[in-house]
Amino acid sequence: MKVKIIEREVLNPLADTEALEVEINPIPEKIDSISFVDNTKPNADVLLDTIRENLKFKNPINVRKPAGAPGTDEQMKQVRADLSILTLGDCGSCTTWLILDAIKLEKQGTPTISVCSDIFAPFARELAESYGAGGLRIVEVEHPLAGQSRESIENKGQKVINQIKTIID
Amino acid sequence: MAKKDTKKKGAEAPKVNENCGCLIDEFIVQNSPDKERLCSIQEADFEIFTDPDAEKVSNEFYIKNQTDGLPIIPPTRSRVDKFLKYSDLKPEEIIAILPPKRGKATLEKVAINAVMAGCLSNFMPVVQHAVKAVSQEKFNLPGINATTHPISICAIVNGPVSTELAINSGAGCLGPGNIANATMGRALRLSMINIAGAVPGIGDHATMGSPAKYSFCFAEAESESPWEPLHVERGYKSDVSTVTMMAAEAPQNVNDHRSTKAEDLLDTIIHTAAVAGCNNSHVPGELLIIMGPEHVKTVYDDGWTKDDVKEYMHEKAIVPVELGDRGGRKLDEKWITDGMVKITRSPEDVVLVVAGGPGRHSMVAPGFGTSSESVTLPLMLKDGTAAKSVEEFKG
Repeated sequence: MKVKIIEREVLNPLADTEALEVEINPIPEKIDSISFVDNTKPNADVLLDTIRENLKFKNPINVRKPAGAPGTDEQMKQVRADLSILTLGDCGSCTTWLILDAIKLEKQGTPTISVCSDIFAPFARELAESYGAGGLRIVEVEHPLAGQSRESIENKGQKVINQIKTIID
Repeated sequence: MAKKDTKKKGAEAPKVNENCGCLIDEFIVQNSPDKERLCSIQEADFEIFTDPDAEKVSNEFYIKNQTDGLPIIPPTRSRVDKFLKYSDLKPEEIIAILPPKRGKATLEKVAINAVMAGCLSNFMPVVQHAVKAVSQEKFNLPGINATTHPISICAIVNGPVSTELAINSGAGCLGPGNIANATMGRALRLSMINIAGAVPGIGDHATMGSPAKYSFCFAEAESESPWEPLHVERGYKSDVSTVTMMAAEAPQNVNDHRSTKAEDLLDTIIHTAAVAGCNNSHVPGELLIIMGPEHVKTVYDDGWTKDDVKEYMHEKAIVPVELGDRGGRKLDEKWITDGMVKITRSPEDVVLVVAGGPGRHSMVAPGFGTSSESVTLPLMLKDGTAAKSVEEFKG
């Protein structure tokens, strides 16, 4: 007599994900307004200064938003422009809300470029993908930025400027 | 892949292979009502279903990043079904969408993770509501799950369900030894890993994490408190069961054996809570205070109300600006008074509960700061009525 012992199956603990699709706005050929978003992370302002000075854009819109939380409705209104450059994703929660706010701006019609450190950029891209914005423009800056000298940030910023220029030119 | 429990359906008698020497089998088959027994050309005469080996399944799940590192209970269909019975939702109903992966937390997926965590089936109503609570916008789960900060998710249970499920509110309530405390918090953590995608180093970027991320769940010792419990303070009747979810650091002990006056005792607590390295020092927010019953008695006997305590903590728990403004987020000037920062925004930010056994200890746990608010949900049936017992969730 043959007895077959069969193990009961175990169920999959992983969840299905919600499919979303966010259209990424093209950057207009003629850019009349750029907003620069500082999420108050250490040296986000220095990095943004470096970018802003290099782009030599007149009348920039400068906005501060919280790092580990969404921008307020008022802040998100102020940010609307032909292009918005957002800094800085160099940790988990700040990267999360940099990307989620960038996606919100894209939904509102503002093209964005988000600056994340090279350590957190892969997570930023995965997060954007999860929220249906796989094509979100994310440029990388060398990690770390917090606790570094101004000179060091300015040097790192030059490489970011090259990436931004490649995108907008 | 293991097989499902299914009954074999074979209507026709198998063809007997005369070369196999199973003449006795042939005889029995011909005289057997179902014509299927004892023939060697069958794959087996009997199929016996058995639970998979827990060690093997734990290892398989661990390799796929689907555990917290501890062994799990294999989530078999029959086990999960027992858990599903403790909800009036359908298995496929979505409780919440959880970031960063935006995973659909269906009742069944939550039940699978609760089984894995070692929960008992009647813990499901608490786990279900805990998952729903952390998905509320003001909780900021996208930030909480992804942050480099070691923030954990604390579950505080109030109301009759605490007694019904024997959730520990007394001696050792924040430590090991109680199945409800140990597994309900773990079920939430496994749900974060598997449903939300908060896998350490992948979707959860905590620089070091925290032991409190394994499980951080307890009940308030309502019978030991002279004050109204947390859920009553938040507008619920005392006989309603609630779960309050708060993003909190691992608790830090306050050892005060000598104070006989409320003010002295509270100062010890304040000097443990008001530290430079917490998020609240630069982005003020909620602060969890878990007062031991003996400490509460000292304060209460000195004539202090709960509101008095919360007011005092809010006013006195301060850090110098030069130490507070070293965090990841820039300190907003609106929080600065005379060179000091209050670590809470208001007395309401002091989340004060009573728990623990004999001894003169309390615990403090700073929250995530300005960007996360705790959420209290009543254990409600689908029709909107508050459940008096978890048994009411059974269909």
